[in-house]
Amino acid sequence: MIQKKICMLGGFAVGKTSLVRRFVTNVFSEHYQTTIGVTVEKKTVMVDQQDVMLMLWDLYGEDEFQHIRESYLRGSSGYILVMDGTRKATLDTARLLQQTVVRTVGPIPFVSIINKSDLQSEWEIDQPAIEQLREQGWPVFFGSAKLGQGVEELFGCLATMLLSPASPPRTCL
Amino acid sequence: MSSDPHSSRRDARSSDGVTSVDEDWTQLRTLLLAPERTQLDELRERLDNRSVEPRDISRVLPEAFAMRGPGDQQMSTVLTPYVENGFTSTVRKSPQVIVDAIAPIMGPAIRQAITRALQSMTEALNHSLDESLSVRGLQWRLEAWRTGRPFAEVVLLHRLRYRVDQVFLIHRDTGLSLHHVAAEGVVVQDEHVLSGMLTAIQEYVRDSFGASQSQALNQFQVGEWTVWIEQGSRAYLAGVIRGNPPASLREKLRDVLDRIHAEQADALASFDGDAAPFQTLQPLLEDCLQAHYEAPPRSALKLWILGGAVLLVCFWWGWTAYQAHARWTHFLAQLKVEPGILVTSANPTWGGYHLEGLRDPIAKDPLSVMSEAGIDPSTVTAQWSPFYALDPQLIMRRAQVMLKPPSTVQFRVDGEILVATGSASTEWVKETRRLALLVPGITQYRDEALIQVVVSDLLNQVNRTVIHFAPGSTRIEPLDRPRLSALADVLRNLDQAVAPSGERVRLAISGSADDTGPAALNVELSRQRAEAVLAVLGGAHLGPSTTVTTGVGGGLDNRGASTQYPAQRIVTFQASIESVHHDSEPSRP
Repeated sequence: MIQKKICMLGGFAVGKTSLVRRFVTNVFSEHYQTTIGVTVEKKTVMVDQQDVMLMLWDLYGEDEFQHIRESYLRGSSGYILVMDGTRKATLDTARLLQQTVVRTVGPIPFVSIINKSDLQSEWEIDQPAIEQLREQGWPVFFGSAKLGQGVEELFGCLATMLLSPASPPRTCL
Repeated sequence: MSSDPHSSRRDARSSDGVTSVDEDWTQLRTLLLAPERTQLDELRERLDNRSVEPRDISRVLPEAFAMRGPGDQQMSTVLTPYVENGFTSTVRKSPQVIVDAIAPIMGPAIRQAITRALQSMTEALNHSLDESLSVRGLQWRLEAWRTGRPFAEVVLLHRLRYRVDQVFLIHRDTGLSLHHVAAEGVVVQDEHVLSGMLTAIQEYVRDSFGASQSQALNQFQVGEWTVWIEQGSRAYLAGVIRGNPPASLREKLRDVLDRIHAEQADALASFDGDAAPFQTLQPLLEDCLQAHYEAPPRSALKLWILGGAVLLVCFWWGWTAYQAHARWTHFLAQLKVEPGILVTSANPTWGGYHLEGLRDPIAKDPLSVMSEAGIDPSTVTAQWSPFYALDPQLIMRRAQVMLKPPSTVQFRVDGEILVATGSASTEWVKETRRLALLVPGITQYRDEALIQVVVSDLLNQVNRTVIHFAPGSTRIEPLDRPRLSALADVLRNLDQAVAPSGERVRLAISGSADDTGPAALNVELSRQRAEAVLAVLGGAHLGPSTTVTTGVGGGLDNRGASTQYPAQRIVTFQASIESVHHDSEPSRP
C-alpha cells in the first residue's frame, strides 16, 4: 500500500486537530486541546481504486510565540493549510506557512481549507481574499470540522493530487 | 562570369520551350532525393493507414514498460485488474502450476514457522515445569491469575534478561514505515503511527538541543522498555527491547541496517511511499528479534543431587522394606519350626504386624524368637491361645519341670513313654512313679535302669574315707586322688538325694598332724591338709544342699587307719544329715 506523509499546517486554534479527528475517527469535540509538538494519525483512503495510507502529521499551531519546526516538514508529500474563517489573521499565517513549506521542501501538492463554516456569519475572510488565493493557484475548500462538512473532500482531493501531481482534479481547483 | 554552365541550358530552354528544363530538373531531383522520397512515401502511407501493427507494439512494449517505470502508479493501477483476473483464472484452472511455483518458497517458510512455534511452546513448557513447584513459581502463578496472562508468559517475563519485542525499519525523511516485525505474543500498536511518532520525537529532540543532522537520538527508555535507534543515510532501524540488552545487540542492528542499505539502495533512494519492495527484508529483521533468558536457578548439578537423593531415599526405603519383609518371613519360619507354637494368622498392619495362634505355656517365648530374628517386639501385636503340645522336646521339658529330677537322673521320651536312667534317692523314685503319668503326653513311665540310692549308705561311704599324708607334707598322694574323685561323686549323690526332702548335708573335713614338731606348726599343717583335700574335691560348693567346713582334728581313731603309717598325719570326713529347721541338731546317719 502506498503511504504518504501529509502535514496539517495553520495558525493557532484554526481546527487542524479537529479536522484530523473528524477525518480519522469521525468525532468532534468542543473541548479544545492544544497540540504539543506533533501528533501522528493515519487514515486510508481509496483513490482510483487504489488504497492510499495518509500519515497525517498534525503540527502545533503557528503563532507569534512559536514557529513551525521545519524539520517536521521534511519528507512530506503534501500538506493542508487550515484557516479560521472568523479570523483573517489566520489567512496571513497560512500564506507565511505556505512560503515556508516551499522554501523547505519545494512546491509539493497542497490544499487549503477555511474552517468553521458553521460560523459563516462571523467570518472575517471575505470573498475577494478567497479569490485572490485561488488566483495564486491555491485549491480552497470551505468546511466545518464540527459539522463534518468538506472534510472528506479536502483529504480526498489532496490524495488524488498526490497520486497524479501532473493533472490535479478539477474539483480541487 | 560567362563560364556559367547553366547559361547555355537556359538558352536551349528558351528555344525548345520549358519542357526540357523541367525534365532535367526532375531527373536531377530523382537522382539526388530518391532515398528520402521512398521514406516520405512510407511515412505518408503510415499516416494514411493509422491502424497499429502488433509487431510494431511488440518491439516497443518492454521499453515502454521500462520507461513508465516504478514511479508511475498509473501503469500498476491499469494492469492490476488484468493481473488479478489472470491469476484468479490460473488458480481455478491449473492450481498445480501455482503450487509448483510457490512450493519452494512456502515449504521452508512453513517449516520455519512450525519449528519456531514448537520451540516457543517447548521453551514455555520447560520454564513452566521448572517453576511449577517453587515458592517463586507460586508467586508467579498468583501474578498470572491476577493479570490474566498465561503462566508460561509470566515465567518468561520474569526470566527475561532481554528480548527484542519489535523492530521498525523507518524511512528517515518521511518517517514512513518501510517494514516492521514483532516477536510472537507482543501486543503491537499501529506500526505506521509509531514510526511517524518515533521520527517526530527524534526531530523534536534534535531541534530542541540544536543538534545537527548527523547527531541523533540513539536511545531512550520507557519503563522496562529500551528503544535503540540505529541511524542510516536513508533509513533508520528502531528496536524496542525489554530488559537489559547487551552491546552486541547494537552491533547486530548496525550490521542489519548496513546490509539493508547495501541491498536496497535503489529502493531506498526512490522510495515514494510504496513499501512493497521492503517485504523481502522480513527474515533479516526477524533475525534481530533476539531473546535471552536467565538460566533456571536450579543448576543441573543440583538437579542431579536432588535426583540422586530421591533415588537414594527410594533405594533405602526399598532396602529397608525388603529387609523388614525378610526378617518377618524368617521370624515366621522360626515360629513354624518352634515346638509348642502354632501360628494361625500373620498379617501386616499400619506400621507393624499382627499375629494370632496357639502356644504351649512351656514353649519358647515368641518375644525371644522375635529378638533373635531382629524384629522390634513393639511393632508386633500377638494373641496366643494356650494348648498342650505333644512334641517330644516339650514332653521332656514338661517332665523336667514337673518332676524336678536330680542331676544324676536322665530322662528319655520314647513316643508316649518316659524313661528314667541314672541314680536317685529312694524318696524321689517313689514320688516320680506317682507323678510321672500326670505329665501331659506321658502314658507310661519306666525306671528299671534307675539305681536307687540309700542316704545312710552314702554317709557311711563318706565317713569311712581317710586320706594319709607324708610327714610334714600337705600334698595329696597320687594314689589318693581317684579315691577323692569317687568321694566327690558320692557327695554329689548325697546332696541330690537329700534335696527333695528339704534336708541338708553337713560335711566336716578335719586335718591332723603327728606329735613331732612344734604344736603351732602342727595345727597349721593340719588345717592346710584339710583345705588341700577340699580343693581336690572341688571346693566348698559340692552341691546346693551341702555345707562344708574344715578344721583340725584331734588324732586318729582306729577307723580304717593303717598301722603302717603314723596315725596322726591324716584327713577324715564327718558327714551328717540335718533338717533345715533343726540345723542345730544334726541327725546321725
